[in-house]
Amino acid sequence: MVPITAWGLAGLLLLLAMACLLDRNLWRACLVFVAFAILMALAWLQLGALWLALAELGLGAMLTGGALLGLLRGRGTWPPLPACDETARRSRLTAPLRWLMSLTWLGLAGLALHLLAGGTTRLAVDSVATLFAMTGLLVISLGLWAFASQRHLLRWLLAFNLLGSGVMMVLGGLAGPSPGVQALILIALAVGCLGSLLGARLVLELHALSGQVSLATSAETGA
Amino acid sequence: MSAMPAPLLWLLLAPPALGLLAGWRSPRRARWVLLVGLTAPLVAFWLVSASATAPLAGTLALGTLELHWRLNGLTALLWLLTHILLLSSALYAVGDLRASNMNTPATPGFWPLLGGLALGLGLVWIAGDLILLYLGLELTGLCALALMPRPGRVDALIASLRYLLFALIGSLAWLLGVALLLGAWGRIDLAGLAAVAEPDSVTRIAMALLTSGLLLKAAIFPLHAWLIPVHGSAWTPVSAVHAALVVKVSFFILLLLWRLLLPDAVVGAWALGVLGSLAVLWGGIQAWRAVGLKHLVAWSTLAQLGYLMLAFPLLARASAEVATLAWQATWLQLGAHALAKAALFMAAGNLLLSTGAARIEGLIGSSRRLPLSLMTFGLAALTLMGLPPSAGFTAKWLLLQAAFASGQWIWALVLAVGTLLTATYVFRVLRCSLVEDAPETPLRRLPLGMELIGLTLALGAIGLGLAAELPLALVRGSTLP
Repeated sequence: MVPITAWGLAGLLLLLAMACLLDRNLWRACLVFVAFAILMALAWLQLGALWLALAELGLGAMLTGGALLGLLRGRGTWPPLPACDETARRSRLTAPLRWLMSLTWLGLAGLALHLLAGGTTRLAVDSVATLFAMTGLLVISLGLWAFASQRHLLRWLLAFNLLGSGVMMVLGGLAGPSPGVQALILIALAVGCLGSLLGARLVLELHALSGQVSLATSAETGA
Repeated sequence: MSAMPAPLLWLLLAPPALGLLAGWRSPRRARWVLLVGLTAPLVAFWLVSASATAPLAGTLALGTLELHWRLNGLTALLWLLTHILLLSSALYAVGDLRASNMNTPATPGFWPLLGGLALGLGLVWIAGDLILLYLGLELTGLCALALMPRPGRVDALIASLRYLLFALIGSLAWLLGVALLLGAWGRIDLAGLAAVAEPDSVTRIAMALLTSGLLLKAAIFPLHAWLIPVHGSAWTPVSAVHAALVVKVSFFILLLLWRLLLPDAVVGAWALGVLGSLAVLWGGIQAWRAVGLKHLVAWSTLAQLGYLMLAFPLLARASAEVATLAWQATWLQLGAHALAKAALFMAAGNLLLSTGAARIEGLIGSSRRLPLSLMTFGLAALTLMGLPPSAGFTAKWLLLQAAFASGQWIWALVLAVGTLLTATYVFRVLRCSLVEDAPETPLRRLPLGMELIGLTLALGAIGLGLAAELPLALVRGSTLP
């Protein structure tokens, strides 16, 4: 049986992920992301991976969260980004390739999880690990949706981090907390953190130089 | 298998240490870089000769974690190639700084990041399990990402941001595929995974996800949109290393995993081959239409990567003869392209730096005044076109033989059309620069060394064709783990 706390944790993670991607107030969205990372640390504890929980707190909640919040604070001569996301949503028809790829990708991943749960003994249907993997898949779908439909660069960084958390949840849920898997997740956490730091620096500089908060001017042709 | 020389692994950490040192005090003279940096290719050369007789392999225990590594003739050669190119790029960077009177590199943190790149690439070549493979892939990717942006230029920032997002999403797709593989088979070392994994639907789906991620990172058609602006705007030594090495890492991992897990998947392999062919055609056409010189070189990278993808259909369920031919052709093409493309970027960088023009039309009359750089361009283009006696010719000749021997003549057609397109865009540049009655525009003088580095690499690509038998013998003997 899956304990009720695990269900609560999974539900809360999904709720926070949604709030993080939907809230037009970016300051609040970033704070929600920090809360999400703290909950992720709790989830790693539940799977029995203490080191991952600590890394998630340090790299995810503190460094990544701090870098994203720093975008709304500015740095040195670079002015802060406006705290309200006023970019227009992308309509579904403008980036068909992106939508198609996201949906295919998601469909394939879902199918594979279904096959794993049905066929072999590795994935018990009624376990915390399975619940974790399924939640991960839902978080991934939220992240992909945000990539395909939103334009704000800070939102893309948030979506990328959520996407990463989702993939790590699938990895942790499917393969269990063996030392090898923990090492993979640890690398993924570090990569996500470094990528966010680099991305935040670039976004801030781009905003300072040209005042834009999205790639919209040139992205229309390349999409 | 010979016994594991554990101190060997510490060699991996030498380039980052050198990078940190150079970052602390940026070198002003190429001779110091040459003197210190030359040790890395020499050590790599020693590794090639050490692993030629017997592949090295071993494990490394970190607490409860066990890491697997291996080194055979092929990966030792790749290691050697990596260090030759990184050293050339470092030398070129010093020359560029002197020529443009700058004290610090155009990219902040250039030296430590170059060292990090060397470590990441080395990890990928020696990786024997998914952890080291992932670590190497990500370290390479992150260092390349951090090398790209140039402060104060909006176009470069936008290109870098797009590259950042695509590269990171590519890694996540890769990781999701790995998660499924681990969930299904539970083995993290490549040899163990290959032994237990069966090509069932979960493996196929995992490979599809993983492949999509790596194709995105390797800029294979149609996922190449990020590559062109990035190469067009990055600093010349960075573009050279990126096109020559970084995109090849994803290809290496892709081929490795396909050969291990889905050696008989003909349909998927053909799909990859078709993507490669489209890349050859589209890249060639776009290079022919390109306005800027660096854009032309970047589009030609896309086309040349397409040739590598032909390895998948030629190796899938192939007879021993075809497999040997295609296997040698692929690695020779990779090496030839790496040398020639780095030379081409350096020649293009020289022409641009000296004439100050970014457009191809701006090169009018440069043949008389920059003969060395133009010769480098021509010699490197020889390899790209696949004319004898270059390594590009030998590689394409082997590919042609493999295509005919396996009855897949369609790839021969792709090779022929690709060669024609390459010739078209190369001669467009040469025609512009050979115009004699051009007005004399002021030229910036370049240090001789800057021109010689590219020339050496271009000559290296031709020498590789003349002495192809030596490396090919090593490649033939090296199968995957």
